[in-house]
Amino acid sequence: MTMDTDEFIKRLASDLRPVRPLRPAWTRALLWMGIALPCVAVVVWNKLMMVDVVQITTDTRFAVEQAAALATALTAAIAAFRSAVPGFDRRILLLPLVPLGVWLASVGNGCVQDWIRLGADGMTIRPDWDCLPMAAIIGIIPGAAIVVMLRKGASLHPRVTLGLAALAVASVANFGLQFAHAGDASIMVLAWHLGAAAVLSALGGCLGDRVLSWRPARSLVP
Amino acid sequence: MGREIGERQNLALLMRAAQAGDSHAYAELLRALLPLVKELVRRRYPFLQSQDIDDLVQDILLSVHAARATYDPTRPFLPWLRAIARYRMADSARRYALRTANEVPSEQPVETFAAKDANMSGNGYGDAEALRQAMAKLPYGQRQAIELMKLQEMSLKEAGAITGTSIGALKVSVHRGMSALRKILRSTK
Repeated sequence: MTMDTDEFIKRLASDLRPVRPLRPAWTRALLWMGIALPCVAVVVWNKLMMVDVVQITTDTRFAVEQAAALATALTAAIAAFRSAVPGFDRRILLLPLVPLGVWLASVGNGCVQDWIRLGADGMTIRPDWDCLPMAAIIGIIPGAAIVVMLRKGASLHPRVTLGLAALAVASVANFGLQFAHAGDASIMVLAWHLGAAAVLSALGGCLGDRVLSWRPARSLVP
Repeated sequence: MGREIGERQNLALLMRAAQAGDSHAYAELLRALLPLVKELVRRRYPFLQSQDIDDLVQDILLSVHAARATYDPTRPFLPWLRAIARYRMADSARRYALRTANEVPSEQPVETFAAKDANMSGNGYGDAEALRQAMAKLPYGQRQAIELMKLQEMSLKEAGAITGTSIGALKVSVHRGMSALRKILRSTK
């Protein structure tokens, strides 16, 4: 039922409504962080109150890992928002790899130090089911917020976009959860926190086509 | 060279005006894009018939329309346009492959009954303009459901992902929409 293209253009133009161009990706990422961080803080508030401030401020590795988690969240969100704009520069997709690499290296170094200090005991992975409800709740609002914001764009690579968004959510959630697990062995952080981030990103990648599907219907034509 | 750069800048300016709601600038922009998009489609699918090219070109222009808020006026216009066009062409090819995967070619259609109506080779509605006008009279939800599921041949899941409605609601919309279309078309005969 193809109509004449001139008529098609006339109709598209006749019903034109003004649109506000999307803000730059970094602005949107900061806006998202502004929503996500207070949500994370509310969920881990009780744990934050119990944090030993002296211990945390003197623990360089903890500070590096927290800064890297936050930077991963921010850069992954920037890359996700940028990838939802047609014709984006693909090099932006590499941006989260830098803080993610620092995060992994720091946790990896922690694992080695634990191995040297405690031997096989330092490499024991224990289930931490108490943490699971908090981990699930902590990501709900940041996750919903980033999906709503991404749907305002037009992602031509929805799997990549949602995978990056999931990495951003997992990273910001990990940032909060770490306050509840400040003294945990690095292998636990590697397995549960970074492992969960990897699983969530992969899941986001798989669901990208469904969640960020972008196919304008002809019913848009008046 | 200088003229080409001027034209590119002009496209960006027209899109900026279109984002602000200037329908004349938008019509001018779409007309200026038409030969560019047609050329992109022809270069990629030189075997397509003219009507299929028009169909694909309109799909691309519609995508440009839907994505116009994502254009950043400080960036070049053509890479943005080409990315949308490439995506829509690849999507169209993928959908065509899916659609034809289960088709069995037959040289001669089997005659079922002697009556003329029972042996029509096409199942499209004869008067496309009347059908288009009838579609325009449908409520938005029903029109969109028919558009996605009957014309674009999407599955319930795919259409549900786009409209954000449940599969049950979509089925109801298509059913009601088709009934309403029949009534409208009968009344206009």
